[in-house]
Amino acid sequence: MAAQTLKLERSDIQGLVARGYGRLKEARFILLRVEEPKRACAWLLDVAASITSAVDDAERAAVNIAFTARGLSKLGLPSKTMRGFSLEFREGMMSAHRSRVLGDRGNSAPERWRWGGHANPDVDIILLLYAVEESALDESLSLVAGGGKGIDEVAVLSTVSLTDREHFGWHDGISQPSIEGLMCSQSAADTVAAGEFLLGYPNEYGLMGDGPVLDPEADPDRILPHHLGGADFGRNGSYLVVRHITQDVPGFWRYMTAAGDGDHDEAVRLASKMIGRWPSGAPLVASPERDEPALGNDNDFGYHRIDPHGLACPKGSHVRRAHPRDSLDPNPGTGKSLEISRRHRILRRGRQFGSWTSPIIPFSKTLEDDGERGLYFMCLNANLARQFEFIQHTWINNPKFDGLYEDMDPVVATASTTFTAPAMPLRRRVTGVPGFVTVRGGAYFFLPGIRALRYLASLR
Amino acid sequence: MGLVTHQLAVTIVVPLPSEAVRPTRDLLREYASQDPQRGALPFGKLSRVHFARLLILDNATDIGGWPLPARVVFISDIDAPLEAYLRELVETAAGAMDQIFGSSADYPTSRPVARKELIGFLQSHMVEAAANYVNTVGRSAEQIRSEEELRRELEKYLDSPDRDLSRMGSLELHARIGAHVRSREDLRWTSGPAAGPDLHFKVGETLHSIWVPLVLIILLPLLLVALPVWLVLVRTHELRDVPSNAKPDERRAQQLAALEDHVAQNQFSAVGYVKPGMLRRMTLSSILWVVDYATRHVFNRGRLAGVKTIHFARWVFLDDKRRLLFVSNYDGSLESYMDDFIDKVAWGLNAVFSNGVGYPSTRWLVLDGARREQEFKSYLRVHQQPTELWYSAYSQLTAENIANNAAIRAGLHARLSEEDAQAWLRRL
Repeated sequence: MAAQTLKLERSDIQGLVARGYGRLKEARFILLRVEEPKRACAWLLDVAASITSAVDDAERAAVNIAFTARGLSKLGLPSKTMRGFSLEFREGMMSAHRSRVLGDRGNSAPERWRWGGHANPDVDIILLLYAVEESALDESLSLVAGGGKGIDEVAVLSTVSLTDREHFGWHDGISQPSIEGLMCSQSAADTVAAGEFLLGYPNEYGLMGDGPVLDPEADPDRILPHHLGGADFGRNGSYLVVRHITQDVPGFWRYMTAAGDGDHDEAVRLASKMIGRWPSGAPLVASPERDEPALGNDNDFGYHRIDPHGLACPKGSHVRRAHPRDSLDPNPGTGKSLEISRRHRILRRGRQFGSWTSPIIPFSKTLEDDGERGLYFMCLNANLARQFEFIQHTWINNPKFDGLYEDMDPVVATASTTFTAPAMPLRRRVTGVPGFVTVRGGAYFFLPGIRALRYLASLR
Repeated sequence: MGLVTHQLAVTIVVPLPSEAVRPTRDLLREYASQDPQRGALPFGKLSRVHFARLLILDNATDIGGWPLPARVVFISDIDAPLEAYLRELVETAAGAMDQIFGSSADYPTSRPVARKELIGFLQSHMVEAAANYVNTVGRSAEQIRSEEELRRELEKYLDSPDRDLSRMGSLELHARIGAHVRSREDLRWTSGPAAGPDLHFKVGETLHSIWVPLVLIILLPLLLVALPVWLVLVRTHELRDVPSNAKPDERRAQQLAALEDHVAQNQFSAVGYVKPGMLRRMTLSSILWVVDYATRHVFNRGRLAGVKTIHFARWVFLDDKRRLLFVSNYDGSLESYMDDFIDKVAWGLNAVFSNGVGYPSTRWLVLDGARREQEFKSYLRVHQQPTELWYSAYSQLTAENIANNAAIRAGLHARLSEEDAQAWLRRL
């Protein structure tokens, strides 16, 4: 897999796969429902011309688009082709079993969602708009403005200007895999086969994953790439996970401050133990005792050799679960462990919403609840079951992760949990850590290649 | 405690008249919804049971065109002796047995059924597993439950805010915990080591572990001639075999998923046809014989070739070796279980399951196969059977938890070095 040098069809790949548009600080996500498929297809043809690809420079603005399974069916993709998509995608994010896998219970259950849930209007399309400034965003909005387009707006998800922090106050987005053949790689361990993120390329097993294919006759104009299996609708596409998550920042700091007996440093220390990095981003394995802003971008570390028992970075901490690096079986600390790790990576593309709290760590005075804030969690992957859902179920929400008993991710689990910070001679264990986040909506989308998008637009 | 034991795999397969399939399935679902302590089939009251399940194999026509009757399959993993288990079972669940098996032609006719007759019926339908895996041989269900209680008690003691134990040295703390346990009448049982299998069992196993290699050595010249021939034959068959590209039916997959991920553990049941012909049948029998030897003597301490998440697993031939039934009890999701298979023991799975119809193509019996990720995952889902009723005596404990608990108990009253005391304390 590593030996093959692959030519990726960059001009057919939507820009969001290649980058998170870090320079485009403003973003808005429009959720749409298809009302009249025929008109919607005509509208899509216009949109297709504005879509930002992986070769476009996206200096001022970017536009990307993705569809739910229902959306693709409504626009006319035949059911036989739909069966080429993964079951998770077709079933959607809100089946009872999926809720168990994703941990969407209680207040986070799909019955209570604001969009994407059982009681909400259908979401068929998500239009992802990015720009350097608000005014440029408004220009892109003309894409959906005005009637007669056959689409209806379900919701608009507005974001707050991008920074390198998330709402609890931590430097975020440090560790990302790079796609082999598409991005400059930071390290071999982080370079992942293109087929892990894009349909139509070999994955980490050296195999092509399943994908939607059409009979060659269904594409007489040869808009799509053709191969032996037929006309490939999936190639250069990726599954986009979107989850609307609110974060209880005052609650988070109230809890940490109480658990630290009112002591500021203790509160930050406990929160950092739970996250696995200090607020600056410095990894606990590299600086176990105090924050070290110089290490704020440090991503070149493993766990097994330095910290096999989690004395510095607890096994149950957020970053050690979400990306265990070299710490899991078989043979922790070896290439074999990393090889398996690479089969469970995602490209994170989230954006924040709601006002930033100021100062960043508001433990002292302003602890009153002052409005809603959180994360539009977004990620891209080619195999929802083995990548996003596996991470969520087997690592994040699993009370049994890495030999633990009843510890879920203390930061992003939606339910109350226990947290254990190993120490000498005895662990420190806190029980009843309340959930700090709530899921308010979400859906699985397919972010097609640009030819596939044009094909879709030609269907009616 | 003090019960000296090892585990047994009990498999009871009873033919089901076709008109009884639906009502029996409904009945099993009804039982499955009941409290395992108080329901009609109260496995929770049977102290020897680790896991139990009931499932139904529908009427089918095998690949040779033979009709196969429907079956109800009752599987349990229990602590020996068998007689004591069967006695307990018929004493607590005779009514359920009547309901489940009553439609079988040879079910005892007396009402109420005499216990002895019922035990006789169950025994007459028992099938020997071709291979059986036990995570840790000789660890009883009662030991597992007690050791979890012990751990919980220790955690509670250590969490108590009125003691500051964090300033102690490791040895001192270990001693303090030991003293606390000794002061507790209800934890007196921890003073001795955990009971293992009895001497009779151990001698038998040791003899088995020796005579098998001995016979192999004697047969070696013969094997050296036969093995290459056999391998080439297998390879030629592989080249002719056609893998199935069947995808799991959506509704079936949802029905199976509905039974999964409710507790820390999950169940898996699957049945498939053995590829026709002598060669595949003999290959599968021999491989399972090797698997059984390996699980009895090599993989009997917490790991099945690197996989630590399986509690029990077994392979059972049905219908004169025309079908193979595989069942297991494992930790985590099916996705992680399948990934473990692919990443850690693909070769082992291939050696067994590539003798099944439709399996992803293999080379030389052990290569490829399960490594064809999506084909393999589809194959498993397509062959999976809904486990209509499933019971676990300790559903919230992973195999790793159980092993850790056993180590906590083993080190509790031991004399430890400073380093060992540190390692022991890390288990809490």
